[in-house]
Amino acid sequence: MKPENILEIKDLKVKFPVHGGLFLKKIAEVKAVDGVDLELKKGETLGLVGESGCGKSTIGKAVINILKFSSPDVDITGEVNIRTDDGEINILSLNNNETRKYRGLIQMIFQDPYSSLNARLSVGQIIEEPLLYHTKMNKTERMERVAWLLEKVGLQPEQSKRYPHEFSGGQRQRIGIARALATNPKIIIADEPVSALDVSIQAQVINLLQELQSEFDLSLLFVAHDLSVVEHISSRIAVMYLGNIVELGPGYDIYHNPIHPYSRALLSAVPLPNPKRKNKERIILKGDVPTPMNKPSGCGFRTRCPIAKKECADFIPPLELKKTDHFAACPYVQ
Amino acid sequence: MAENNPETKVSTSLLQKRWKKFKTLKRGYYSFLAILILYLISFIFPLFVGRNALLVKYNGDYYFPLFKTYQSTDLGQKKDAYGEANYRILKQEYAESGQGNWVFLPVYPFGPNENLLSELEGNPPHPPSIQHFAGTDDRGRDVFSRLLYGFNIGISFALVVTLLSYIIGVAIGSSLGFYGGKLDIFGLRLIEIWSTLPFLYVIIIISSILQPNFLLLTFILTLFGWIGITYYMRGEFYREKARDYVSAAVSMGAENRTIIFKHILPNSLTPIISYAPFAIVANIFSLVSLDFLGFGLPPPTPSWGQLMQQGLSNIEHWWLIATPLLSLFLTLLCITFIGEAIREAFDPKVYSRLR
Repeated sequence: MKPENILEIKDLKVKFPVHGGLFLKKIAEVKAVDGVDLELKKGETLGLVGESGCGKSTIGKAVINILKFSSPDVDITGEVNIRTDDGEINILSLNNNETRKYRGLIQMIFQDPYSSLNARLSVGQIIEEPLLYHTKMNKTERMERVAWLLEKVGLQPEQSKRYPHEFSGGQRQRIGIARALATNPKIIIADEPVSALDVSIQAQVINLLQELQSEFDLSLLFVAHDLSVVEHISSRIAVMYLGNIVELGPGYDIYHNPIHPYSRALLSAVPLPNPKRKNKERIILKGDVPTPMNKPSGCGFRTRCPIAKKECADFIPPLELKKTDHFAACPYVQ
Repeated sequence: MAENNPETKVSTSLLQKRWKKFKTLKRGYYSFLAILILYLISFIFPLFVGRNALLVKYNGDYYFPLFKTYQSTDLGQKKDAYGEANYRILKQEYAESGQGNWVFLPVYPFGPNENLLSELEGNPPHPPSIQHFAGTDDRGRDVFSRLLYGFNIGISFALVVTLLSYIIGVAIGSSLGFYGGKLDIFGLRLIEIWSTLPFLYVIIIISSILQPNFLLLTFILTLFGWIGITYYMRGEFYREKARDYVSAAVSMGAENRTIIFKHILPNSLTPIISYAPFAIVANIFSLVSLDFLGFGLPPPTPSWGQLMQQGLSNIEHWWLIATPLLSLFLTLLCITFIGEAIREAFDPKVYSRLR
């Protein structure tokens, strides 16, 4: 593990079996993540973009090791190494009980602020929950910490007695952020934290995340499909397609000079609030995303790629260094 | 954030909100109050309805027949002076003798299991009169008194059976839904096999071997009552387990026990709570049916089903049919109203037609 990294994902593969037939035999598998290498540096924000179903949320869930909880028969291989006080630990090699010890280090902000808060608990109870598991604070200490956290995320400490249904979507997401910060984590996985919010609220929450990131010295894995949001917040961006990373590089570079044909098409789809540039060359891809149950051989993108050749079916292109810190998984572009 | 001024607004949990909503649904709320109060009072019915006097003064001493049984000779009863004291006769005799002795009787001084043949003229069943509001049954027992005591037994029985079925059903359904996998597949098959056992035949067979009593009947009905709850809970657990707040709890490091009891269980009780009044209705009805068929509580326990059975064999005596049917109808109607209002109160959609 490189010293500047806090999280390293090595050759992560996640396959969900599909059962069918009379005796519920395994008839196929969904390759949600198909061999992903990713590094998260200390203090940086890594944006992970891609369209629905490309496996970006699955990576986030694999990193906090909760896939096995919701689907016990999932097949996960590879490594997710995180830097802890006990040295480097491959979190995937631990079972649920062993993982529990390290859960305070790595927390998640969920996409849907309506279903990610337990409606039966008051806000105070929700935020203090991680403190119950990872600290030995007593009731007053916990309540003080809750009040402090609420202030940090821009809510009033008095609101800790309220229930989630009394808050708006943006406020709920702030509560989710306060909960994620409660144990002083090193890594935060933000799984599309703003896609369920209004645009005006999105900006507030993104700015809040950025402020908190520098204050708490957080490393952020920011999963999103909204490219402008990702460009705003990320220092590096990884573009995913069908379970693979197709391009990885500095945020500005990827956003303005994408290399991989898929990234080009994806970024040309970003609406620009500039009427004069209306007829900017828009790359329209043919067909639909192939199902991850039956991926094309070789490069996953070749069925829709404008520059596909015959050889693309033969091998899975690895990420190649194209420019400084800028990788793309296509041998035919520069 | 302006609308959430913390000084002025009192925060309400989901449960408090639902209770408030329930109170606005008048039909259900008043039915709930009526049934609740009547049921609570039914535990102190001997103070109002019953054969035992509340207080007797005899030869300068005070007697409390509610707590101790006195023989008729102990209290100087002259007429029919055998066995237990008859306080209605005592009251008459004391008044006639004028020795300062007196008897303080309940408002309605007839017990549910008391044979009144020696005090009433003619053959039973006697039609309703001022003294006996609902007449007497074919053994000369007061029907009104039997109806009231039968209410207590019926509701208690239904509550106990519902509670036990819920405990078993919630426990099994939650484990199936939470752990899933092989446990779920094999557990469900076992439950399906169990649910095909014909309930009525099992009861008839057991009743013909053992003398059924309150405990045995609750046991048998519970054996078959938990299955429906299991399906509900299993489904709810599967659904709630996939929600983000549970993932959040796991990612925070909560143990399975905490996840089940603090997170999933409170969020999956809604359907079975709204179902509870209907389960109670069904259980009251089961007891009435079993009593009607003669496989229920042993005689002389006051029961509505047994009264209806008498009504069937004495079909010309209308009060034996009308009074238990009317009581059953009103009770079940009230509980159904309660169930309707609970369902409405738990409905996340705001519109309402029940007021």
